[in-house]
Amino acid sequence: MKKFLLKLLLFAAIFFIIDKLFYVFIHVSPNYQVDNRIELLLQGKINKDIIVLGSSRGAMNIIAGQIEKETKQSAYNIAFPGSDVEFHEFILKTLLKYNKKPKTIIFAVDESLELIPTTSITYRLDRLYPLVKYNYINQELIRRGDRNFTSWFMCLSRLNKTNFALERKPTKFDSILPCGSMPVNFEDTKYTKPYKYEIPSYSIAKESSVKKAAYQSILKQCEANNIQVVFAFSPNFVAHSKAFENRIRDLALPNSKFFIYDTTNSVYQNKLYFYDESHLNQKGAAIFTSELSAFLNQMPQK
Amino acid sequence: MLFNSIDFALFFPLIFILYWFFTSKSLKWQNLLLLVASYYFYSCWDWRFLFLLVFSTLLDYYSGLQIEKSGSERLRKFWFWLSIGINLGFLGVFKYFNFFASSFADLFASFGFQINIWSLNIILPVGISFYTFHGLSYVIDVYKKRIPAEKNFVEYSVFVSYFPLLVAGPIERATHLLPQIKKARKFNYFQAVDGLRQILWGLFKKIVIADNCAEYANLVFNNSDDYSGSTLVMGAIFFTFQIYGDFSGYSDIALGTSRLFGIELLKNFSFPYFSRDIAEFWRRWHISLSSWFKDYLYIPLGGSKGGKWMQIRNTFAIFLVSGFWHGANWTFIIWGLLNAIYFLPLLLSNKNRNHIDIVAKNSYLPSIREFFAMAVTFMLTVFAWIFFRANTLTHAIHYIKAIFTKQLFSLPEVRPSHVIALIFVFMCIEWFGRKNDYALATFGLSWPKAFRWSFYMVLLIAIFILGTKEQEFIYFQF
Repeated sequence: MKKFLLKLLLFAAIFFIIDKLFYVFIHVSPNYQVDNRIELLLQGKINKDIIVLGSSRGAMNIIAGQIEKETKQSAYNIAFPGSDVEFHEFILKTLLKYNKKPKTIIFAVDESLELIPTTSITYRLDRLYPLVKYNYINQELIRRGDRNFTSWFMCLSRLNKTNFALERKPTKFDSILPCGSMPVNFEDTKYTKPYKYEIPSYSIAKESSVKKAAYQSILKQCEANNIQVVFAFSPNFVAHSKAFENRIRDLALPNSKFFIYDTTNSVYQNKLYFYDESHLNQKGAAIFTSELSAFLNQMPQK
Repeated sequence: MLFNSIDFALFFPLIFILYWFFTSKSLKWQNLLLLVASYYFYSCWDWRFLFLLVFSTLLDYYSGLQIEKSGSERLRKFWFWLSIGINLGFLGVFKYFNFFASSFADLFASFGFQINIWSLNIILPVGISFYTFHGLSYVIDVYKKRIPAEKNFVEYSVFVSYFPLLVAGPIERATHLLPQIKKARKFNYFQAVDGLRQILWGLFKKIVIADNCAEYANLVFNNSDDYSGSTLVMGAIFFTFQIYGDFSGYSDIALGTSRLFGIELLKNFSFPYFSRDIAEFWRRWHISLSSWFKDYLYIPLGGSKGGKWMQIRNTFAIFLVSGFWHGANWTFIIWGLLNAIYFLPLLLSNKNRNHIDIVAKNSYLPSIREFFAMAVTFMLTVFAWIFFRANTLTHAIHYIKAIFTKQLFSLPEVRPSHVIALIFVFMCIEWFGRKNDYALATFGLSWPKAFRWSFYMVLLIAIFILGTKEQEFIYFQF
């Protein structure tokens, strides 16, 4: 038994030393991100008046730089494609922890999937993996059950295979502007469907309680920090769902503002302004952003 | 508590220390410790089902005693059938009730009668198929007077609930495990080192091979309508390695863990993907289940004594029951049937015991004939796994239809090079270790210690780096 335990300890000790060599991957992996907005958040470099929160519809449809010009307030877009409301909550929490509080949060909602579980918008763990050198991120991964407590003292427990991809691989969607927005000026070749006039139905029964809780937590955090929330409903290549809008209104706090795109504007029924059925292209985004800026300008300044 | 979880990484060393340092002087205390640890291990899933496990243990223990004690054959039969009936009853209710209910409803619907069948909203207790089979084999053996009834309840309970095999096997026999539980165990350095090595290999199979293959198998199977024939073939191959890595990995961890307590469990896998025909595959895949069915179903049904027809009938019976054992779904039944059909030509031509030895026993590489035989068997197995993995029979049929299109010869859309490379390395190690109980048993033992340890380090690092989120073992659902 003594020999067994001694060998086991020796093996464990060597492994522990080798483990520390992997720190280099933890350290360098943030440098290979295409999108470094979360790291900027962690470094406290996003100190703006207006912040855009959301998924791809926020990232592609709202151009923060244009808002800056049109409202004369500083703005930044921290919407992440493919992310869900739980992830938005985490992003907001991070923003408030490390940066100056914004005056306004533009919450770009995903009509009609904001509160409904789907595979197209999820908690973007992959965005956090390259940033495991930050204890705050590691803690979040532990909280979500993606890491365990050994990641506090073992480098290998913090890493996964994505940390070893030591090259930047930008896609055509990764054209991130300095303002954080990601408008696209091409269209999805697979997207051929005509505009749908039929108003889609909305089922409250399909909503996820976790997503609803995250949504309400965002509102509470904004209220506690005296931040004005503006819900932005951007156009789909489908008629606007009043039922979904009403649901978002019902769950919102009384002081929330709601901006709905101009449903009478024929531009939003023209394919030339869309990337696909859920996202505008750069031309469409410029028009939608200017409507949004006009709405923000009408609001009383804090 | 999963073997590949941090909870188990804390639980196991604690039990190991208590077992060898605090209870080693008393067999009674060692067994009691194993029993408490096993019950704790099981209750980590759902403590409510612990009552079911304890009840099943008590029933079989008491039935065994009564069968032995009863003077009349009538009483012996009563206790025997009571135990069998209740055990199978539990299995039937928890595992198969909803399946039968919905199948009857579908049957009536096909004749134009719509009936509302009452279904049970119940969770399947983890490991129920495994511990029920432990109990059944014990009661049958006592009834057949192959073994005496066990008098010591703690020792019998350890046999049923021993945590390394409790939730996914191997399915043990009282004749093999009970004598080990009753005998004083002494720490054996070589056995313990071998156990650790087997655990390491099991974790590698599960975390590196199975979980990485699962990512792509799930992607393809869950979106099978969107992929080309060649990609669907890749998906089926990924699942083939996923299920092998997953289940044989689990078995290796179970066997290795048990070795560290000085108890040897039955071997469950013996390099099945190097089989030269389907009969050999079934002698190498889930060995403890196949042999259980052989001893407790095939032989009592007459085995191969009653001529060819009876042999065919019994073979189909065990494959169908084996399929059904895996789950209450037609996909498993068809999987079993398909394997029986594969088996049939071998049976008819009396070639089902042609390959008893190890492939390429005296050479490094297989002959062309052996290689061809292995490739054909492997492809048949891959095809059968499609039914096993598909969500429904319709899904499986659509999947297979979509394979046989022109796009079968196009480049697969899903071809993760790192997973393919991992499978290649894994199969090479398995090939070189095929003459042993598990691939790593002697692999590298002749190397200098520094090289050998470096190799183990590489495996361990791969487990950490290539591991995904803790994934359940597939066989837990059975």
